[in-house]
Amino acid sequence: MIAVARDIFWRLIPANPILLRIISMAGKRRRDMLIRCGYLGLLCLWVIFMLLAASGQTKLDDLAKSSAGIFEKISYVQLILVALLAPVFTAGAITQEGDSQTYDILLATPLSNGQIVLGSLLSRVFFVIALLLSGVPIFAITQIFGGVGLDNILYSFGIAAGTAFVTGAIAMALATFRIGTRRTIFGFYLFIVLYMVGLVLLDSVPFLQITGGAVYSNESSHISWFTGINPFLALRASMGDPSYLPPLAADLPAELRFWPIGWYLTSPHTFYITATFVLGMALTIPSVVFLRRVAQSTLSVRSWVLLKLRIIASATTHKPRYVWHNPIAWREAKTKASAARMTWMRYALIAAGLAGAIWTLTRFAHVEMPDKYIARGAFNTDQGMVTILTSDRSIEQTYAPGLKITLDGKAIRMSDLDGRYGVKDYTVASGPRKDVTTLNLVNPKRGMSLKEAQTYLLWMLLLEIAVVLIVITNVAASTVTREKEDGSLDLLLSSPITSRYYLWGKLRGLLSLALPLNLVPVASIFVFVVYDVFRMIAEGGQFQWVVFPEAIVVVPLILMTLTALGAVVGIEMSLRCRRTMSAVMISVAIVVGVVGIFGLIGNAIAGTTSWNWAPLVIAAFSPITVVSVIAAPAQFGGRVFDEGGADLMLGARIGMFIGSLISSGIYGLIIWAIYKSMVKNFDMTIRRQSR
Amino acid sequence: MAAVIKTINLTKRYGSLVALSNLNLEIQEGDCFGFIGPNGAGKTTTIKVLATLLQPTWGEARICDMVVGFQSRQIRPLIGYVPDSFGAYEDMVVQEYLEFFAAAYGIHGTNRTKIVNDVLELTDLGHKRDTLVDSLSRGMKQRLSIARVLVHDPKVLLLDEPAGNLDPRARIEMRELLKELRRMGKTILISSHILPELADLCNTVGIIEQGELLYSGPVADILRRVKSGRILQVAVSSNSQLAQGLLSGDPRVAGITSLDGMLKVVVNEDVQDVSFLAEMLVKNGFRVTMLKEEEVNLETAFMRLTKGVVQ
Repeated sequence: MIAVARDIFWRLIPANPILLRIISMAGKRRRDMLIRCGYLGLLCLWVIFMLLAASGQTKLDDLAKSSAGIFEKISYVQLILVALLAPVFTAGAITQEGDSQTYDILLATPLSNGQIVLGSLLSRVFFVIALLLSGVPIFAITQIFGGVGLDNILYSFGIAAGTAFVTGAIAMALATFRIGTRRTIFGFYLFIVLYMVGLVLLDSVPFLQITGGAVYSNESSHISWFTGINPFLALRASMGDPSYLPPLAADLPAELRFWPIGWYLTSPHTFYITATFVLGMALTIPSVVFLRRVAQSTLSVRSWVLLKLRIIASATTHKPRYVWHNPIAWREAKTKASAARMTWMRYALIAAGLAGAIWTLTRFAHVEMPDKYIARGAFNTDQGMVTILTSDRSIEQTYAPGLKITLDGKAIRMSDLDGRYGVKDYTVASGPRKDVTTLNLVNPKRGMSLKEAQTYLLWMLLLEIAVVLIVITNVAASTVTREKEDGSLDLLLSSPITSRYYLWGKLRGLLSLALPLNLVPVASIFVFVVYDVFRMIAEGGQFQWVVFPEAIVVVPLILMTLTALGAVVGIEMSLRCRRTMSAVMISVAIVVGVVGIFGLIGNAIAGTTSWNWAPLVIAAFSPITVVSVIAAPAQFGGRVFDEGGADLMLGARIGMFIGSLISSGIYGLIIWAIYKSMVKNFDMTIRRQSR
Repeated sequence: MAAVIKTINLTKRYGSLVALSNLNLEIQEGDCFGFIGPNGAGKTTTIKVLATLLQPTWGEARICDMVVGFQSRQIRPLIGYVPDSFGAYEDMVVQEYLEFFAAAYGIHGTNRTKIVNDVLELTDLGHKRDTLVDSLSRGMKQRLSIARVLVHDPKVLLLDEPAGNLDPRARIEMRELLKELRRMGKTILISSHILPELADLCNTVGIIEQGELLYSGPVADILRRVKSGRILQVAVSSNSQLAQGLLSGDPRVAGITSLDGMLKVVVNEDVQDVSFLAEMLVKNGFRVTMLKEEEVNLETAFMRLTKGVVQ
């Protein structure tokens, strides 16, 4: 028995030839060494910086606190790096089936399925694990002053290792079941990033948080339903952050105490570590069992599923489509757009975007009127009468000449009231006339407040824009490199197609591909603006836009500009880089970096306390800021929108509108300049790479 | 007849590696030129230069008297290039693939549909028009590659290993297709390792090694050139060593070697009648079981001219 177990386990991992080859090669590759040095250098610099910042402290308690702070931050740095690097190193597994020369040879050897799958998986995760281990001495520095428990260190490493392992296992499963193609690599990477970032963003949505006195004795603390399934949230929960403490089991309502929900909520970090390892194993076991069986089948699992779902009629045929006048544009727009995966993704995005917008609108539109309310024309100033309505009758009452009216606690003039308001209470004079002397009104309670609706809409828009931008940048970045890799570029270059025609075709095709995706945020905005127009007619004076109507012009303009920017940057990198992977990574980093940094600067400028509209004109150069201000002006538009009157607000809106037109023009010029430069240098760039 | 393809001192370097060195090549209109050489000899580089995909480091390449690099735009409609690997267009079906390239050559509208249909018929791919290119067999893909270069009716076809890795049937079909194209008057430059087929298809050949052209000219000339004297294979029922000694004494025999009992006899070039070999052997009591003249083919020529050096 022991001999059998030893034989199996010894062969599976320690004596696995695939793993041994990778380990013996580890550290010898220049690229790996540079990444390792960069990673450790970054950690070292961070620790030195933090230690220097804490150098003035002399009390042991303060030093321990500093030490805990340093540990917390480097844990996050470590997790960010692992989250970024693990998909990069494991994604290659997806295409191993396509580049199957070595894969087929391995399958033909006496190596067992387990040896091949585990060897391949562990060898891909090995680099990331080695990276983690190399950081241990740096973590040890934080132990000098105390303040960090061993359990915290273990949780930090466990979460990072679990993330790397599950990422590798997903990539291996995709490879084994032949679900992925070359293009899946980026989809996989995008999914991982969106999953990690998206859940962190959703964590801040109050609706999804677990909070309140029923769960917490400390009401300022919360976690969310996503804490146990996201590494960053799980890490935060393990750090003992007072604002992010998991609840105690005893505090949970009885219906949430059962296993595994109770465990999930009370210890999300241990749940995450366990779940990632269990999920990793759950994905690995079928890969081990079915590896050779799947490899022998003629139909990939992906094609089989698509056939069964009737997404494609046949795995090998379809009716020929009409080829456009510019075949390059046609190929980008049609063949990629009609690929089953892309069609599926597009419809999913459109459906999810519209469903989100309609759900938000429905919640916002749902008005709960108090028992008593007033409607437009409630005040008859000639007769000094006010009409208060209930569900079944109307009460007509005289009001005193000095009637005091408040709306949500703030004094308001009668002339400013225009619409329907709930009557919280009113006081009547004691005299025989029983005049109303004070009238306290409230805005009708909605299913979702204006601020909430704006926040939801903004996050939806930003998420949709991010997805469109990343998808288009990815497709653009792979468009020329893939043709270089598979040799089809040579076929086109030996035809009379000019560089201008070729690049214009690529750009035009990519913009056509992006068009339906861009319609999602535009449609979301359109739905709200139409609703707002009806609401304005109904409510009149006190009406506040959920989203400013100029968004119908500004947002499509921004989207087209951003899409074109992503496309030209992607094509530029695709021309310059030899490999698809590097082109995609670099261009996505550039686009996300530029848009993100501009967004931070723009939001900082827009959020100033100035009453002037000028900062908004400058802030309009950041597309993200424009969308933020248009969708949630009170939160992102600074003092003008938060406290300013109608005139100031109108001025600021006009400023922002003009600013966004100018910035779109300037972006257009930049895009044109990049395009012209690509056309000019096309032959040179391609020729330099010729072998 | 005008030279459709001409290279003058064509040189291409990749860093320190000399891929082509002063290559002088001339292919006349309507010729089918077989380009032979070991792996890494410079065949693909030459074809890529002619296909306007590479710029020469030195020298000149001309297609229909237009200089590659300076008049590439005018050259491209005149050439049809088939690379050694099939450019993957996994999302397209056969008809879309051909229409895509027809559009790339500026063929639009109903004319495009007609041309694509004609080409599909010529290459016998009509029944595959709805099939995804990626799911075609290797032979079909190669045939589709030929179909692709025919949509714009080029004067010159540059074919880099079109029959590489094909099964015998697909190879024969490909050869027949190329013969048909030759009959249509196309000038064809084809590189291949399958020499018997080249000999059957081509009227001229070029042999290249280490970037240098060792020979260029008609197939018959090269065979004549490598043939130094007539070689006869002689077999006797027994005592082949004695027979070897007997024949080597004759002044008409220039040389004689023996391999596994088989005698290879080289007779002087001026000797027309070789029946004296049989007569001598029979007179001396040998039973002649075989006497035949050794054929000099393209393979023999290739082996004799090249040294087998790979860059």
